[in-house]
Amino acid sequence: MVPLVRFGNWLGAMAVAGVLAVAFMMQFVQHELPCPLCMLQRVAFVLCGFGFLLNLRFGSQPWHYGVTILSALFGLAASGRQILLHIVPGDKGYGPPVLGLHLYSWTFVFFVATLLGVALLLLLSGREPEQRREGRHALPMGILSRLAAWLLILVTLANAVASFALCGPIECPDNPTSYWLFTRL
Amino acid sequence: MTALIFLLVAIAMMTALGGQRGIAGGLFGISLILSVVWLVHHMTDALPLSF
Repeated sequence: MVPLVRFGNWLGAMAVAGVLAVAFMMQFVQHELPCPLCMLQRVAFVLCGFGFLLNLRFGSQPWHYGVTILSALFGLAASGRQILLHIVPGDKGYGPPVLGLHLYSWTFVFFVATLLGVALLLLLSGREPEQRREGRHALPMGILSRLAAWLLILVTLANAVASFALCGPIECPDNPTSYWLFTRL
Repeated sequence: MTALIFLLVAIAMMTALGGQRGIAGGLFGISLILSVVWLVHHMTDALPLSF
């Protein structure tokens, strides 16, 4: 894989892990409990990260980028829906704004940036014979790629636990004020 | 439900790291379908728009 493309995928995976870590910090430090649509935007983030991880593990392949594009489109649908819910003038939105925008607006921007980034990576991806062979077998991963992969897995598992604690096995309330699990202890 | 989706994606990631791309892709597909179903389920409120 072209080194620049590999770096781009590594950066994408790290960015997803970083964004989810910030969301986690806001949830536990500032006690900003995520709504169901917010949780679905986090799902879209980890699904995007999965596409980047596939490229790091198996080499740059069109269907790996397809995974990221589909996931980013899903994220745009979820964040776009939440923006429209609060678009009426006078509506204070959900949660406090960060740098002038609510988190769901930043999320929308991030997914658009992801689509642009993937388009750029696709343009940079070569079609040399050795690159076409990539994807059939796992490639050796360097320490930084392994770090990005395990960070992604860690934040995904942490979100699974936090989501269960907040919402329980089935459904989250529209505007959660406490953790489902802790109210049952 | 979102906890289940996160868990499925985490398993898909670990499966991909283990070199099993086909299984990982299948798990991704299931996760994406569940996510879309859950998004549609939550799109219940009418949007406050008027033109």
